[in-house]
Amino acid sequence: MTAVSQRALVTGTQAVWRRWLRRHGWTFGVWLLFLGLVAYYSTLIPSFGSFQVASIVNNGTPIVFLAVAQAVIVIAGGIDLGVGGLLVLTSVTAARLMEGQSFEVTLVIAVFVLFAAALLNAGIGWIITVSNVPDIVITLGSLYVFQGIALSVLPNPGGGTSEGFRWMFTGSVRGIGSNPWPAAVMITIVVLVAAWWMGKTRSGLSLYAVGSDATAAYLSGIRAARVKIISYAVGGGFAALAGLANTAIAGRGNATTFGGNLTLNSVAAIVLGGVALTGGIGSLIAVIPAGLILFFLSPILTAMGVDPSGAQIIQGVLIVLVMMVTGLIEWRRQRRS
Amino acid sequence: MTEPSPSLLAADGIAKRYGPVVALRSADLTVGVGEIHALLGANGAGKSTLVKILSAVIPSDSGTIAVHGQRAALRKPADSMAAGIATVFQDPALIPDLSLAQNLRISRLDKDDVLPWLERMNLGHIDFELQVSDVPLAVLRLLDLARALARDPQLLMLDEITAALTTDQAEYVFDVMREWRDRGRSVLFISHRLGEVLDLCDQATILRNGTDVAHLALEGVDEAELVTAMLGEQLVEELVEAVASPTATSPSAPTVTSEAGQPVVLAARDVHLRDKVNGVSFELRRGEILGLTALEGQGQDELFQLLSGDHRPSAGELLVNGERLHARSPYDAIKKGLVLVPADRQSALLPQRSVRENLSTPLYNRASRWFSLADDEKARVDRAVARLDIDVRAGSQVQRLSGGNQQKVTIGRWLAAGFDTLLCFDPTRGIDIQTKSQIYDLLKEVAAEGAAVFLYTSELREIPLVCDRVLVMYAGRIVHEQAAATATEEMLLTAAHDLDEASA
Repeated sequence: MTAVSQRALVTGTQAVWRRWLRRHGWTFGVWLLFLGLVAYYSTLIPSFGSFQVASIVNNGTPIVFLAVAQAVIVIAGGIDLGVGGLLVLTSVTAARLMEGQSFEVTLVIAVFVLFAAALLNAGIGWIITVSNVPDIVITLGSLYVFQGIALSVLPNPGGGTSEGFRWMFTGSVRGIGSNPWPAAVMITIVVLVAAWWMGKTRSGLSLYAVGSDATAAYLSGIRAARVKIISYAVGGGFAALAGLANTAIAGRGNATTFGGNLTLNSVAAIVLGGVALTGGIGSLIAVIPAGLILFFLSPILTAMGVDPSGAQIIQGVLIVLVMMVTGLIEWRRQRRS
Repeated sequence: MTEPSPSLLAADGIAKRYGPVVALRSADLTVGVGEIHALLGANGAGKSTLVKILSAVIPSDSGTIAVHGQRAALRKPADSMAAGIATVFQDPALIPDLSLAQNLRISRLDKDDVLPWLERMNLGHIDFELQVSDVPLAVLRLLDLARALARDPQLLMLDEITAALTTDQAEYVFDVMREWRDRGRSVLFISHRLGEVLDLCDQATILRNGTDVAHLALEGVDEAELVTAMLGEQLVEELVEAVASPTATSPSAPTVTSEAGQPVVLAARDVHLRDKVNGVSFELRRGEILGLTALEGQGQDELFQLLSGDHRPSAGELLVNGERLHARSPYDAIKKGLVLVPADRQSALLPQRSVRENLSTPLYNRASRWFSLADDEKARVDRAVARLDIDVRAGSQVQRLSGGNQQKVTIGRWLAAGFDTLLCFDPTRGIDIQTKSQIYDLLKEVAAEGAAVFLYTSELREIPLVCDRVLVMYAGRIVHEQAAATATEEMLLTAAHDLDEASA
């Protein structure tokens, strides 16, 4: 008996492979699915080229960042319905402040909006920890509050931004073009840094710890309340990044967009990206293609000749299927052990 | 002993209550420098609560803690660690979804900090990239210990660390404990295995009902003395009097023989569940009250989950009236007449609904009863209320009833629904003595009417009062069986510790 358990602790080649598959298999699979879909799309569209790629990457940027925001919070054991509202609020605030300003000034404004949003959402996290009211209730409230503030900041669609700022997110001073690189590079760098922080540092790992087993984390000397507030702050920062991307793409702000739909998209994206809604499991790297797929699904289906309502049905079925696959994998693993 | 030796830790008058339940009344504990100190007591004496308070996992209601003579305010686990206390808790404090290396990182430790200790425990080759949920429980305990040692604490607290370990693994732990003492540090050791305690420990503090009742130097003390100290001299006369009601007429010995001819209603044949239940067999006959007792965590919880249809055995079989039980959920077990009164009353009841509604819930199982009950069923609910002597006036919400009355409702549900076999898991925990005796009477009545009762209890003194026969469980096995009438607390406690005298 002892011999068996000793052997199980030393890892053979096969076990290393299986472990890699278990830890990164989902990430790998979602990337593969994304690239497969792009390849399939290119056969559907005769004129497929850099314009289509740029369109996917650039217009997918807000949903990717919003999904990362949601992922950080869900991994730490929470859920934030307010991220969509925060996206709208930061987008219209930036549009209003940036109108007619030079590139340098818009950069300063962007940094200000980023930190203000992080602070604001940290406050939401703080309210959750002191009130002991479930995350889903408090953030449902914050969704409407953010949306309301956004409407008072910018009652009618408008505002503006600098050309340089538009280039940063779209590779074009007019917000439309064939250059996917600035957005791709920004997503890569920002998400890689965030993923490194969450996977390799003590403060980042604390998020996984609290989401995985709050009691064990507490016994290990982790302060769960602080970790929760940090997760909401980081999530707020990413929601602001999504909002800024939105402003850069549209060149203006629009507070009549309802943030709740965006929130639901972010939840759908993290589910597809393999983040467990129960917390503690998930990779930010997998959230990138998941967000892009979600954005990209309706153009594909349109190209295939499916009408828009059909696209929504397929999106819904896809999310349920993904959840069922996750459950099946977990069930098989438990049966094996 | 009166000479003031330098004390490392002095806890004074520690008290803690959870609502109406008193976990610690007033406990004193003094651990000297360079000693292995045992903290002993029966189930529910307050050992784990005291450890959690000293680790600052839960706050105490009153009392003071001093470390090296300095009063320490321990508010969060980090304070306790900073004061030089490291704890290995009963449940592993490792994050299941992270790798071992990641777990060390969140504890601000490095592989190299724990490796020397792991090598001592024959775990030097362990792969730190393993995910915690894939590592066997015993190894996790040792990892937890290595992690605690790496913090280089003045006081190492070990709560039931050996319970999950094999003999050779336990030896590693003992070596480490002795070395810790030789370094002039101290260990607080909690174990149900009294042999280990006598081998290792220098001093002992014994808790009973939340109070420290004895402080002993362990040299020259034997196991029997420890058992006596844990149980106390307190007599059970009041209890005997309360229970000696006219309904309990026939002495136990003849009852056993009269049941021998009755059909077996529930039988377990070499039943296993993972590594928790390791080959349990027994037979329960009509009209019999079969007792079961064990120390905490010996597989009794899992055995009751099996019997109530919550899990299926991984090996072996359960027979109900001679037919194999294929339960996918408790629903299937209940259909076969096998009903459970669980340990946690709150989870068994609908706390915000009335007594009557709670009593009728099992009757709503049939689709034809979704809207209203038949008249005879209403009458059955009425009879159950009358029989249980529940005060229905305060019963608009079950959560407002006292614990004892709530327990009566959990039993009463099945009286209204009807059953063949009643499984009771520690039904009298935290209940006043009068209600206890009513519950005893009730169990005897249902048995006299032809039902079978399987009763797990952590209160040993209940067994001769209620049961016909008693089983004792240890490490997932039945290690002892005897007629309940002749069972004394000493015999049962000795058997529950799996000491040799029991089987001899």
